[in-house]
Amino acid sequence: MPPTSSSDTLIRKLQTISDIREADIAVLKTIPIQEKDFSASHDLVREGDRPVYSFVVLDGLVGSTKYTGDGKRQITSFFVAGDIPDLHGLHLSVMDCNFSTLTPARMGFMRHDVLRNLCYQHPRIATAFWRSTLIDAAIYREWVTNVGRREAYTRMAHILCELIFRLKSVGRIQDHVADIPITQAALGDALGLSTVHVNRTLQELRREGLIATTGSRVHAIDWPGLTHAGDFDTTYLHQGNPAA
Amino acid sequence: MARFFFDSGDRDLVLQDEIGVECAGIEEVRRAGFEGLVDLTRDALKSVDGQQLFVEVRDENGDKILRLSLSLQIRSLR
Repeated sequence: MPPTSSSDTLIRKLQTISDIREADIAVLKTIPIQEKDFSASHDLVREGDRPVYSFVVLDGLVGSTKYTGDGKRQITSFFVAGDIPDLHGLHLSVMDCNFSTLTPARMGFMRHDVLRNLCYQHPRIATAFWRSTLIDAAIYREWVTNVGRREAYTRMAHILCELIFRLKSVGRIQDHVADIPITQAALGDALGLSTVHVNRTLQELRREGLIATTGSRVHAIDWPGLTHAGDFDTTYLHQGNPAA
Repeated sequence: MARFFFDSGDRDLVLQDEIGVECAGIEEVRRAGFEGLVDLTRDALKSVDGQQLFVEVRDENGDKILRLSLSLQIRSLR
């Protein structure tokens, strides 16, 4: 079930990727988080901005995006509940990409000066934040490989596996059924594919019996088959407590 | 805006578009179909002489309104 407070959403995510302890959790709970709701396709941060806040995704789906000179959009990564997409803004003052909602979504904004002070005083929290941005970078590397070298069928299967796995690991879905209410055009922008080919590729995955779709709901009816089709290995998501 | 369906394939296998794409007019249908054919070519074109790939567009009534296709020809020159 979704956590009840914005702090819980943040803490749950950090617990899946780091070894923060009870004392750290108590400190994290003191971060003032300003919640705000957004409709789909809203630019939260734009390239060139100098934000003084970072935000944690509390609900919905966010994409980092870049535009080519002639206006073509590439979605370079997805972010789900618990993720802090622009945490790098804590140290890189000018944003080098946009962050936009892909679905209706709720964000929690945290002041940079508060986060900085926390990091100076609590090294385990600083490490957890660092790990978070390192894992984001690992996801970007995977996406470059996905878009650059995998064929459309594998590419689509891979991105669906990643979304389902990430939503599951932060407790947003229980099984392999995910509501992914993003447009085919957005999927195309994430995969570097035309909308027509996005439809064809989804049709191929259905035909192979790997997924079933109802509206925006995607059901991985054959999870092992889908991970195989998607060339999906979870290593790059670095889940699990790293303390050992 | 109206919804159009872009079936695609080769002689052996045609995949029906069950989702469709919203387009503002025939120019947009043509552009979407062309982009789809380019992607299809990257994925499905094999080194087989005479292979044909196509995208065929239906409107909401099921009437076929446009077909884009290309075929590969391989000729030895000596």
